[in-house]
Amino acid sequence: MSTGVAVEAANLHRQFGAKVVLRDLNFHAEPGEFVVIVGRSGCGKSTLLRLLAGIDRAERGSIQISGEVLIGLCSSARMVFQDGRLLPWLRVGDNVALGLPKDNDGRVRDMLDRVGLADRIRDWPAILSGGQKQRVALARALAANPGLLLLDEPLGSLDALTRLEMQGLIESLWHQSGATTILVTHDVEEAVALADRIVLLKRGHAEDEWLVDLPRPRDRSNPAFSGLVQSVLGHVMEV
Amino acid sequence: MRRKLIPWLVPLALLLLWQVSGSVGWLSNRVLPTPAAVLAAGWHLGASGELASHIAISAQRAAVGFAIGGGIGLLLGILTGSSRIAEDLIDGSVQMLRTVPHLALIPLVILWLGVGEAAKIFLVALGVLFPIYLNTHHGVRTVDSGLIEMARVYGLGRWDLFRKVLLPGALPSILIGVRYALGVMWLTLIVAETIAATSGIGYLAMNAREFLRTDVVVLSILLYALLGKLADSVARWLERRLLPWHPAHAVALPAALPGEGA
Ligand SMILES: Nc1ncnc2c1ncn2[C@@H]1O[C@H](COP(=O)(O)OP(=O)(O)OP(=O)(O)O)[C@@H](O)[C@H]1O
Ligand SMILES: [Mg+2]
Repeated sequence: MSTGVAVEAANLHRQFGAKVVLRDLNFHAEPGEFVVIVGRSGCGKSTLLRLLAGIDRAERGSIQISGEVLIGLCSSARMVFQDGRLLPWLRVGDNVALGLPKDNDGRVRDMLDRVGLADRIRDWPAILSGGQKQRVALARALAANPGLLLLDEPLGSLDALTRLEMQGLIESLWHQSGATTILVTHDVEEAVALADRIVLLKRGHAEDEWLVDLPRPRDRSNPAFSGLVQSVLGHVMEV
Repeated sequence: MRRKLIPWLVPLALLLLWQVSGSVGWLSNRVLPTPAAVLAAGWHLGASGELASHIAISAQRAAVGFAIGGGIGLLLGILTGSSRIAEDLIDGSVQMLRTVPHLALIPLVILWLGVGEAAKIFLVALGVLFPIYLNTHHGVRTVDSGLIEMARVYGLGRWDLFRKVLLPGALPSILIGVRYALGVMWLTLIVAETIAATSGIGYLAMNAREFLRTDVVVLSILLYALLGKLADSVARWLERRLLPWHPAHAVALPAALPGEGA
């Protein structure tokens, strides 16, 4: 179990050519918090996540991880991408071991066990289903005990039933790991099901946010649940 | 079983036709000796050990030339594929040199290096270098940038990035280069040995021509074909060994059965 890091981003500005994607964006996450970022396609959600991971740099503004200014890649962060990005030439177990110190057999086995794929450790990624691939990606992300887990629409390409299952898995992994988790999604219901706090990204900054004060695991038939979904959805759609 | 046999029917029929035409005299021995005569020539030369020594020297030239040219091509391709500076510095020049057909250099190479081993190895190396270089460069350059990005986020250093991402990602393309280069290798060797050599399969053929030994000439041609086929089989075997994860080979995996749902 790791301790989640605190994330503090101030006045982030990011543009591509003349197109400003993020302007004066402020964002924060408490240690161990589960923050979900929602917003329309192209509003800059992935761009923000990439800044937090240290893959790209903002033109202006600063990011602090546990009080330290982020320069270069964020060593305590691990990211899961929408397309999984498993290395096709490494077996499932070796994919999970990527970036781990040597002698990691026990850790790899344990992580695969947690995502329910212990028996696929010797398989090639190509023969896994979409959901299984994302499970492996999750196991890989959490194997090194990251303080910050960044999930960029990890369930975006999955069918509805698999999504539901995977949401439960993500919640339990988050719970076990204690990592500060930032999830990007299109799916407002997914946001309400998982988030401690939902942040709406619009016009280049965090335009709105909601604290989700419902007991976990969340009951989707609860009127408060669907009420919140409607409310967030309304704000997302509003131009 | 039947599907395995059918492809052999036509070649066998042709072989039979060839043998019969020779035996009944439709086909002069000067033009084309019968398969049996070629076989006999092979047997004869094989028994004296002459055949083995010619094959050995040819194979050695091929292997040494391939190793040198392929090695240089591989290194350069990796270098220019993974570093912008190296690409700007080297790639243009290599592309320019590539436009010169290497066989056109034979007169010059003979002037420089004579007709000894060095000349033939040099030509093979030169011919092999370019296909390996091009495919390596292309392979490294086209490794999915998403995977490279992922590897960086997951803390891989330069060496691990190369070993676990760039090289395996480029390998399918490199192996295509290898197969192509093997063809160039034999072709270069045939030409070089035919023009100037005192040993090797090409010499065997040219020497036999002077003595009107058509059977040995045909034998030499068949030997080249056989060695070419052998090299191709080795390349295929390499592909299966080195790319077990590749969808083209993954079908053979017993674990490929659709398992439980996600
Ligand atoms: N490397 C880049 N070069 C130029 N423009 C870019 C680049 N990356 C992103 N953009 C632009 O920035 C904007 C935000 O992109 P981003 O990927 O962050 O959106 P997103 O919110 O993640 O969208 P989606 O939900 O569809 O994934 C888009 O208009 C996109 O075209
Ligand atoms: Mg995105």
